[in-house]
Amino acid sequence: MSRIPALLVTHADLGAALLRAAEQIYGPVGDVEVLSNAELSRAELELAIVERVSRWPHGGLVLTDFPGGSCQQCGLLAVRGHAEVVVMTGINLPALLDYLHNRERYSAGELAERLKAKAQDSVRVQRARPA
Amino acid sequence: MSWRNQRIDDRLIHGQIVVAWGVALRLARLVVVDDQAAASAWERELLASAAPGVQVSVLPLAEAVACWAAERGAAGDAMLLLRDLRTARVLVESGADVPAFTLGGLHYAPGKTKLNEYVYLDDADREDARALLRRGVKLEAQDVPATRPQVLTVLDPTLAP
Repeated sequence: MSRIPALLVTHADLGAALLRAAEQIYGPVGDVEVLSNAELSRAELELAIVERVSRWPHGGLVLTDFPGGSCQQCGLLAVRGHAEVVVMTGINLPALLDYLHNRERYSAGELAERLKAKAQDSVRVQRARPA
Repeated sequence: MSWRNQRIDDRLIHGQIVVAWGVALRLARLVVVDDQAAASAWERELLASAAPGVQVSVLPLAEAVACWAAERGAAGDAMLLLRDLRTARVLVESGADVPAFTLGGLHYAPGKTKLNEYVYLDDADREDARALLRRGVKLEAQDVPATRPQVLTVLDPTLAP
């Protein structure tokens, strides 16, 4: 199976920071692009995503940060007509690392479902044991 | 109480609307007036899904004047969302007595100059703003509730009557 490329679309510098953090843990990363919504209108952000996903002949993942935000909405608008491109929202560092480890083993759809589970599972609430 | 804010924002419904304004104003309804979005079932569905727990309407401009009047005085609070100053101008010139608009996000495009971090205007925008100001419509810039509104004619003195 070929490697599934990804585009991180986030508010401010979150995507770039996530990728830097992932590289500290995983090592150098290729085939992941970053796009910030900073100073982009809805139409411009959609176009910027379209330009990138159009370069993916075998599909890919658009990873966005926040349900209901402009990144998610523009991602969904941009992937119309690209059946093999999937939008996954709520990306975090554990999910991004899981993507890097598994992007050559699954299809885009399978990978998106896996990342959703990983992102949800990585949120923990824990308390110290009594002394 | 109905209309609490009339916002011009080229992202329409997005994070600032859902998380910041929606909570601060306890909005029950979001009314998007936008011909492009209203014409697409997919865009209407997407906008509605962006604001869980809030009633979202997406209307063409031709229906907006009637909606403005009908909504006034309705139970619960509402926000009006428009993509650009031209839509605001047409709405007012068509008969909606909107007292004020908040410029919440008009982002950079070629030909537009920067007023602050989230408002960029070109000559056509300025002409629309002047037309609104001449009618007595108040124009301020404010992205989120936690920031202070900025009077547009202070940000851009060339707009002052």
